[in-house]
Amino acid sequence: MGHDDYKEMIPAHALSALDASDEGALNEHLATCAECRRDVAEWEATAASLALGAKPMEPSPQVREKILTGIRSEEPSLAGRSLSEKSGSEKSGFNVIPFGPTPRNLWNSLGSLGSIAAVILFAALIVGIVVLWQQNRRLRQENELVQILSSPGARLKELKGTTEAPGASAKMVFDSTGRALLIASGLPRPPQGKEYQLWFIEPKRAPRPGKTFSTDSAGRGQLEERIFEVDQEYSVFAITLEPAGGVKSPTGAIYLRSDL
Amino acid sequence: MARDEAALAELYDRYRVILFGLLMRILSNREEAEDVLQEVFLQVWRRAADFDANRGRPFTWLVTMTRSRGIDRLRTLAARERVAIAGARDESEAVSDAASDAFRSEQRGLVTSALAQLPDEQKRPLMLAYFDGLTQSEIAARLGAPLGTVKTRMRTGMMKLRELLAGKDASFGF
Repeated sequence: MGHDDYKEMIPAHALSALDASDEGALNEHLATCAECRRDVAEWEATAASLALGAKPMEPSPQVREKILTGIRSEEPSLAGRSLSEKSGSEKSGFNVIPFGPTPRNLWNSLGSLGSIAAVILFAALIVGIVVLWQQNRRLRQENELVQILSSPGARLKELKGTTEAPGASAKMVFDSTGRALLIASGLPRPPQGKEYQLWFIEPKRAPRPGKTFSTDSAGRGQLEERIFEVDQEYSVFAITLEPAGGVKSPTGAIYLRSDL
Repeated sequence: MARDEAALAELYDRYRVILFGLLMRILSNREEAEDVLQEVFLQVWRRAADFDANRGRPFTWLVTMTRSRGIDRLRTLAARERVAIAGARDESEAVSDAASDAFRSEQRGLVTSALAQLPDEQKRPLMLAYFDGLTQSEIAARLGAPLGTVKTRMRTGMMKLRELLAGKDASFGF
């Protein structure tokens, strides 16, 4: 197939309607063709407009509350900051509340030993909060792991480190509802702009992408997924290093993989 | 309310009726659609840093993520045979007046008008792909049409849709 053949496949790719073999071939081409990658972005916008063909409907008010409660229980995020900074609140139409200005000259304003002591105490307090938050997060992970493992039909798959990360390992637990949790350890910290990504690999089919995750300074990372029954039975799970946010077809080295 | 939280709440208020409508169209089940909508915004919260304005608009990013999650859930449910997809559509709660105001009805009008101009033979494959998550082979089997014909009709339909929306694209920036 040539460039024009791949170009013709892009509208269907934007609808995620390509069959696995075509999707795999196109993804290989996209890795080397900037023009086609630009086309993908344009066709994805056209595909997204189809969403407006659905009748708008009002979710129940509880959904909003659940979302806000959910994010409060998670780590402090830069969500609003990232969205507003990257897209520009005027350009995107977001009316994001701006963040407060940072102190212009901190040291000039700290004229006394008392102030310095206060800063040290404040820093210690922040460190303490971070430590507590990390402990709390680990407990939540363990709790979730126990919940899934104690579900009916729960299963466990182990992923072993490849030559890229011989000391790494991971466990993937999932239950009959498709709820899954992957906990990895011993992975090197991804470089700036990179994340680890999960893949489902079946014989004679192009690998299918899963979610991405990063690791902490100790090389630990975790990922929540939903896994189809067919993948639970027939897929090999693999973890590769990819551009942050993930890609549709693997481009990086495999760091972890399971056996069938 | 924290500032980040306020930004997310505003994002939700702005897009909820579009995204929930999309999920209802895919899943035909209010409970599942609300669950996925919740997952989507939690994912937005966790992955906002991945959003790259150079690669697309927030609308495209959100809709693509929502549709993808909706189709994933549809497949999970279908695999478990837990829902009768062919069941009656739950349209018991129409969109409120306030939500209608918030929703950009003009853009929706443009899209529905564009879709109405597509021949049914081009529109059906697009709908089956977008809202039912079917691949081209599955669409060919569903419609009893040759695979090559389905590919051509999908491509032609998408090109026509893009052409009909061209020039009006700026209004899809939301």
